[in-house]
Amino acid sequence: MRALAVTGVSLRRVLRDRRSLLITLVLPILLILVVGGSIGGTARFKVGLVDVGAGPLGARVAAAMSRASDITLTRYGSLGAARLGLSRSEVQAVVALPSGLSTRVAGGGRVLVDVLSEQSTSTQRAAAAAATSVLERVAVQLQAAQFAAAVQHAPYATALAIAGHLAATVKVVAVDTHVVQHVASSLPLGFGDSAPTMLVLFVFISAMSGGAMLIEVRSLGLYTRMLAAPIEARSVVAGEFLALLVVAVGQSALIVAVGSAAFGVSWGDPLAAIALIAVWAVVAAGAGMLGATLFATPEQATALGPTLGIVLGMLGGCMWPLSIVSAPFRMFGHLAPQAWAVDAWTGMLARHDSLVRIAPQLAVLAGVATVLLVVATRRLRHTIA
Amino acid sequence: MFRRVLTIARKELRQRARDRSAALLVVVAPLLIAGIMSGALSGTENFHYRLGVVNEDHGAAAAAMLRTLHQPALHGVIQLVELDDRTIAAHEVASGTLGAALVIPAGFTSSLRSAAPVRLEALTSVNDSLAASTTVAIARTFTAQLDADRLSVLAAVAAGAPRSQLAALEHRVVRWRLPLGVVRTPAGAHPLTAISYFAPAMAIFFLLFQVTFTARSFFVDLATGMVDRMLVAPVRPTELLAGKALAAFTFCLASLTIVAVTTSELFGASWGAPLPVALVAVGMSLVVACLAVLVIVTARSQRQAEGFGSLVAFTLALVGGNFVMVASAPPLLRHLALWTPNGWALRALTDLSTVGGGIGQVALPLLVLGGFALAIASVAALLAPRVVRR
Repeated sequence: MRALAVTGVSLRRVLRDRRSLLITLVLPILLILVVGGSIGGTARFKVGLVDVGAGPLGARVAAAMSRASDITLTRYGSLGAARLGLSRSEVQAVVALPSGLSTRVAGGGRVLVDVLSEQSTSTQRAAAAAATSVLERVAVQLQAAQFAAAVQHAPYATALAIAGHLAATVKVVAVDTHVVQHVASSLPLGFGDSAPTMLVLFVFISAMSGGAMLIEVRSLGLYTRMLAAPIEARSVVAGEFLALLVVAVGQSALIVAVGSAAFGVSWGDPLAAIALIAVWAVVAAGAGMLGATLFATPEQATALGPTLGIVLGMLGGCMWPLSIVSAPFRMFGHLAPQAWAVDAWTGMLARHDSLVRIAPQLAVLAGVATVLLVVATRRLRHTIA
Repeated sequence: MFRRVLTIARKELRQRARDRSAALLVVVAPLLIAGIMSGALSGTENFHYRLGVVNEDHGAAAAAMLRTLHQPALHGVIQLVELDDRTIAAHEVASGTLGAALVIPAGFTSSLRSAAPVRLEALTSVNDSLAASTTVAIARTFTAQLDADRLSVLAAVAAGAPRSQLAALEHRVVRWRLPLGVVRTPAGAHPLTAISYFAPAMAIFFLLFQVTFTARSFFVDLATGMVDRMLVAPVRPTELLAGKALAAFTFCLASLTIVAVTTSELFGASWGAPLPVALVAVGMSLVVACLAVLVIVTARSQRQAEGFGSLVAFTLALVGGNFVMVASAPPLLRHLALWTPNGWALRALTDLSTVGGGIGQVALPLLVLGGFALAIASVAALLAPRVVRR
């Protein structure tokens, strides 16, 4: 009962602190929006197009690029702007259609189109290959029109119309795609990635910031005064831990609710999700309490606690998937508990893993939580007493 | 007046130097995070995958397809692995050993003369969608010429060429090439690496915390009666605020310099030519100093100042692109980033890192940063008398 009274007081303090409410409630949602919006829904090459008077053929190329399933097209007004876009990584390749393109092709000529990409970057070369593929598909009808016009001395426009009509009926040499691996090994792109990773990141960061409040209470001498009343140190510690836990669970519930309602995130097996959220909340609360015993001042806790959270979040795959980093770095990253939490979310969201399937990750997190709680409780009791 | 401002700034800097958490936040934290980013993301800018090829056809068209896959332009993007069995290829794609595989089915070459040519098959995995789309793109580049030749003959016949000349037309079309050729032109800029983006991004992000640190320092002075004592000295409120701002500016500039030098030397981050980089650092530090003063004159208590400071830091970092590579973000986010000073500073540093150039390259960002600083300082100056009334 006395522990619950301490919890109540701490929670009221949290609710009155706008700064902590900002970090706890608003920031994670904003980051889910920004990060989820940035990593997009599908993996595509970003290609820029510059058309400086190419004529009708320019519109045909632009339409084909827009329709291509592997390309996201950005149009630029000048070659300079496109080059700058390429250097800033807005796009990965630029197709520069020369002026008079349509006229020269209609006259039977062959026109070389510049495809700008950095040769030392294979991503840009792959994007250039995707853009080249679209250009050459457009050129199929153009060659047919040129050939027919040359053979029959027909007007090019007539030959192009014939080629266009035939292209709709003639079977092309198709490339069929067979997906032989349907089971995803990483989180779905977009909000399906940003929502669970930001949950893991921010629940931990908020708990570390929460540790600052404990330090503030300690430095104001409130714990000493509390102990003058008939209350034991362990009740105070339990009450403070419960407050951190309630905040962590509440924050997780909010992220899950907003993620589902606003961003359409599916959180997988409900039972597994509840278990993971609960265990992660205990890990975070334990870390927050431990931080309160390690940092000397609230300023240190608010400055260094979140920084530590960001560093562990990076190592643990909250900022980028650990599947893209080298094997040694991936192994090193699993020293951070965040990596196990992200692994569990990945299993649940990508492979629909059940509670049983994520049991190994939960066991590791439970172990971390136990160690943190035992150490933090002992240190905090000692500090308070 | 300037001497009094300098004295206040010196006292502020001495205090800040003694505060280990401040030093950790503006120097150690960005270096640590830049180091992790460098270690984690090095090599991930390059897209490379192993492509399996199963040649069940062994005809002339299949040989031409293999020549296409061996072309120099694809070196570095794909590593070709020739396999005998499509089942093995499918298994290796499923296990992730291969990014994708291309199967040239038996009878492919001979079917090209028929009305229904045999289809090429790409075996793909949901875990490597870029490898899948690249494989299909490369295959379609090859089939484009085949399709063009077949369509050309049919178009000539449809335009009036006698069917009896079909063989002659087929023979003639072999010499034709697609009328749109491609010339691969170098971009003329250094590619933007993760470390070259995130080193300045993290340095600026942690710089924004100076707003809170400076405002907190003012309210601590206020609570301990230091401000009252200074105001009877006599020191004018504007001098007091200018001293705080000068200290924040110096601290920011030193922090940016240390992070720039260290990340360049240790992690190979490319920041660009020193002089324009220094000017951008001065501009951004000036904006942070002005923001700190604005928070001081706006907030009524230390807690409120910390709240405003955090709000300013996180909002600017979120919108300005300190957490995500903003150039890769959708256009709306890219435009929003240009409403923030840190967005402009990052854009300037990105351009210096990739395109290079001198002061002219960053003239516009410097003007914008100056404009931000002037606007914020003007509002803060208008509200400065509130400091006396506290």
